[in-house]
Amino acid sequence: MKITVESKSGSCAFQCGGNETILYAGLREGLNLPYECATGTCGTCRARVMSGEVEMRWKDAPGAKKLKPDKGDVLMCQTRPISDCLLRVPSDIAATDGNRPTSRRGVIRDIRKLTNDVAHFDLYLTEPMDFEAGQFVVLEADDLPGGRAYSMVNFDNSAAKVAFVLKRKPGGGFSDWLFARGKDEVQVEVFGPLGKAVFRPEEAKNIVCIAGGSGIAGMMSILEHGTRSGHFEKYKGAVFFGVRTLSDAFYVETLARYVTASNSKLHVTIALSHEEAKTPTHPNYPTLRLASGMVHDVAAETMKGRYENAVVYVAGPPVMVDITIRALIMGGVATSDIRYDKFS
Amino acid sequence: MAWKRICGADEVPENTAKKFDIDGIPILLVNYGEGYRAIPPICPHMEEPLEQSGVIVRCVLTCTKHLWSWDLKTLEMKGETEKPLKVYDVKHENGSILANIEEELAYEFDDAEEEDDDFFK
Repeated sequence: MKITVESKSGSCAFQCGGNETILYAGLREGLNLPYECATGTCGTCRARVMSGEVEMRWKDAPGAKKLKPDKGDVLMCQTRPISDCLLRVPSDIAATDGNRPTSRRGVIRDIRKLTNDVAHFDLYLTEPMDFEAGQFVVLEADDLPGGRAYSMVNFDNSAAKVAFVLKRKPGGGFSDWLFARGKDEVQVEVFGPLGKAVFRPEEAKNIVCIAGGSGIAGMMSILEHGTRSGHFEKYKGAVFFGVRTLSDAFYVETLARYVTASNSKLHVTIALSHEEAKTPTHPNYPTLRLASGMVHDVAAETMKGRYENAVVYVAGPPVMVDITIRALIMGGVATSDIRYDKFS
Repeated sequence: MAWKRICGADEVPENTAKKFDIDGIPILLVNYGEGYRAIPPICPHMEEPLEQSGVIVRCVLTCTKHLWSWDLKTLEMKGETEKPLKVYDVKHENGSILANIEEELAYEFDDAEEEDDDFFK
């Protein structure tokens, strides 16, 4: 089916199958349609259907709350066409130069528990994928509809295997379901890479990462890329990793390895929100600093007046991301130097 | 002309914003230190409530949800912001802030709809 999208910057058209969403079809064609979460929660990919028939996949998507359905408003990430369609999108649209996202199949193997409620898993792709450090993919299991976004933890060109962090949430359907699979292989549909909160060494800037819990996932990819490309030989890095207690921290060995490789140009602080830090540094990895308090407070205090020539990456629970971004703007960080992907 | 009193000049501290209901029209009054702006209380991007989502620093209003921002002195759009702020004229008189409210200002789905419906044709 032919989808025509009118935007402030002109009109464009692409083909969309009956089983894919309009957003994914457009992104696959290399258009920068507006989106952030790509999974129905944020509302950024709203559009107005001017003509043609569509169906909304997930009618109660949280991101659809503010839409005006009587005017034909839809979320493109949840909309499949039934006929040729004409849509209007309230932003500028152009062709992008980045990696075009596409659909692949994959098999999840090796789900490995990292802490009480966090696991690591590997996904083996049928076709390798190029992605940028900080990007994510949407996974959908065959027998559990609805996509979930996961940031890549590793960084490789033409990656045949990608790694993710899985946070078990109370009542979190997909994570419960995946945790229960244990050692079984799980077949999934993979769409990606997605996301704009990416690290590009050629920007030649210092890096600050502020992560809450499993938000560290994308930062690990950024740190891996930064370490391997020699970024920290020239530029500073500061990582703030917020967890409830020391036993909730994970990837500490890897983080310590990045610090060592950087010749101390990279500083990592683990902020404990629900217990006092008993020692100034990690008992087993003394290159990692410990601090007590909420991660955004610890970051703000440590970084005060030191954001010069820095790009700041933020990821974590929505409330933590909101407070952190507010603190960064108040701290004088330019909006163009703040990178995050909104999942709510 | 319909100049209406919003509040006393000391009711909205510097670098804050406060929402008022003026005869049924919601108005967000922003004190950016060098002056005041009276605007609709929602972000033109995704209708976030600017009283909560907005931050005012150095005369720039930023919606923290998606980082759209505007220079409050010149109303210039900053960064990746794609829509201008709509504003009511304001004046400072005898210790009060007044706004000229003819009708409620609102943001449409896209600019083309309100300004030039032939935009795409």
